[in-house]
Amino acid sequence: MKIALCSSLVPFINGGARNIVEWLKSLLEEHGHQVEIVYLPEVDSPELLFQQMMAFRWVDLEMADRIICFRPEAHLIPHRHKILWFIHHIRAFYDLWDSPYRGFPDDLKHRGIRDALRRVDGAGLREAKAIFTNSRVVSDRLKHFNQIDSEILYPPVFQSERFRCAGFNDEIVCICRVEHHKRQHLLVEALQHTQTPVRLRLSGASAGADYPRDLSQRISELGLTDRVSLDNRWISEEEKVAQLAHCLAAAYLPLDEDSYGYPSVEASHASKPILTTSDSGGVLELVQDGMNGYITEPSPEALADAMDRLYLDRTKTEAMGISARDRLAELNISWSHVLQRLLA
Amino acid sequence: MKVLIVNSMAPFVWGGAEELAAHLQKNLVIAGHEAEILRIPFQWEPAERIPSQMLMVRAFELWNVDHVIALKFPAYLIRHPKKTLWLLHQYRQAYDLYDAGQTNLPPGQEGLELKYLIRQADQESFAESRNIFTNSEVTRQRLLKYNGFDAAVLLPPVNDPELFPGGDNGDYIFAGGRVNGMKRQHLLLEGLAKADARVKLLIAGPPDSPDDAARLQAAVERLGLADRVRLDLRFLPRQVYAEYVNRSAAVAYLPYDEDSLGYVAMEAATAAKALITTADSGGILGLVKHGETGWVAQPNAKDLAVVMGAVFENSARTKSYGQNARALWESMKIKWPETVETLLR
Repeated sequence: MKIALCSSLVPFINGGARNIVEWLKSLLEEHGHQVEIVYLPEVDSPELLFQQMMAFRWVDLEMADRIICFRPEAHLIPHRHKILWFIHHIRAFYDLWDSPYRGFPDDLKHRGIRDALRRVDGAGLREAKAIFTNSRVVSDRLKHFNQIDSEILYPPVFQSERFRCAGFNDEIVCICRVEHHKRQHLLVEALQHTQTPVRLRLSGASAGADYPRDLSQRISELGLTDRVSLDNRWISEEEKVAQLAHCLAAAYLPLDEDSYGYPSVEASHASKPILTTSDSGGVLELVQDGMNGYITEPSPEALADAMDRLYLDRTKTEAMGISARDRLAELNISWSHVLQRLLA
Repeated sequence: MKVLIVNSMAPFVWGGAEELAAHLQKNLVIAGHEAEILRIPFQWEPAERIPSQMLMVRAFELWNVDHVIALKFPAYLIRHPKKTLWLLHQYRQAYDLYDAGQTNLPPGQEGLELKYLIRQADQESFAESRNIFTNSEVTRQRLLKYNGFDAAVLLPPVNDPELFPGGDNGDYIFAGGRVNGMKRQHLLLEGLAKADARVKLLIAGPPDSPDDAARLQAAVERLGLADRVRLDLRFLPRQVYAEYVNRSAAVAYLPYDEDSLGYVAMEAATAAKALITTADSGGILGLVKHGETGWVAQPNAKDLAVVMGAVFENSARTKSYGQNARALWESMKIKWPETVETLLR
């Protein structure tokens, strides 16, 4: 079958949404399909949104037997056999409307854009033959905002057999983009309240220079430079595997994220427990408190307490690591399941 | 600098333009830039849907990009304040092919309007570009004639020159590249049938259609050349192709009226191999100088037979032709670092 995988991107910014498309491509090719990836640029600026949505509407992929669409507004591409693996809305106009992350005023103009966008999205979504999402959170939002039913299809990581456990050192790792909404600052703030010599390793690239600079400054102010390492770049897959193999646990506490997040799934494959917070959204679909990690209040003090427990009770920490691995099978997180559903 | 290469894509088809974009990206990175390729789908049938796809390209927003290098229609319509065009070709069916009556645009007023629309959009896009380069003299002339833009020719370098160091001359003439009627491999077979019995020929490359392959196989049979010809008709791994070039005595390439120098000739010259072409091969004659870098034959079997025999008559002469071919190619200074620098000027 000729399959086009369609998504949007901002050039030169890497992220999880791009990986899933490329991984799916290699798996579909292994199964004998012809695959073309169609990445189109999109800037989520309110003024420029509708003109770009029109561009997606004008994309002609008739020669494909089916298309599978990922990031917005790729779901607007017309096709007789359109499948959606819907990852998120343009969130500022949906669930983030009533949040500090909206980024523009709640006025007549933006409300008009919001309502029109929701109508167009609804129409584009209804054209699809099948709609899958990457999480409970996103399925709930589709139901709530667009009155559309969908099926959860958890995205697996690529070549998960690479991940392994080689012991437990004193370090909690956090491997994801270094951005304010990923809240590395909360982890840094927490470290000053710990009673144990537990350490923190933060790795990841940033879109801007401000957040990593502030983070680095805060680490110095708190006198934590010998207990925190901040590696502000996109580390290699090999480095990631090695860090996860040896760490004590993995922290992942984005603010109300859509999906469970690859960092937590990768940690699970390495049999490491996950440290997260009660407001982290999709991560809570994977993590169960005291089972395969700890879920704390999003405060430095509560996080510090969990960090100490991870450090002190090694038996429990290791047991939670094993459970983290088992949890993946429980949720049917595998590529064979994904292929079966997308090609149905 | 963040450089975005913008190219059109015919979904599920990979060809020379895709290879060029990939190597441009690689060489931008070598030159210390960040580089990505944006491939915009374009479907030219039915022609009625061309305008909406032009609007599609025009409606995209690029953010986080310092410089755009655009290659093909309609991808080069994309808006960016720093846009350089390396024009591989325009939509020829609105230009020279339209005039020649070989267009997919509908007849009558509708086709005229489409042609006008395409030309106007091109005009606007060329005017807003920082620099325009073409990949051949033919494309340059066409752009000048139809659009009035005087571009500079920037010939694409060999993508992987390190694969073509050359080597001892073997006992065969190599004919590489795509296999089809226009590339005239059949003419080489007819020449071989009349040539000195010492001459051997290796024809290798992807046939455009199963018929193209069958025609050559039948000719080998008919002319009784089975012990002097080897056919390897498939898409060759790059290493295999390079090996065939490096071990040959000479390289023959005789397409009909080609636009450019031709990768086959450029790669052979990189490997210091003597070249064989025909008087009507167009751009290839830029590299093949008769009695200097190789032989220019008339496009007939008799003449080609003489030339193919000459390759093995005097091996010292053949070698020196090869050295001259390399020297001529080197003197053109068509290298990736300079090309990248020019494109970002």
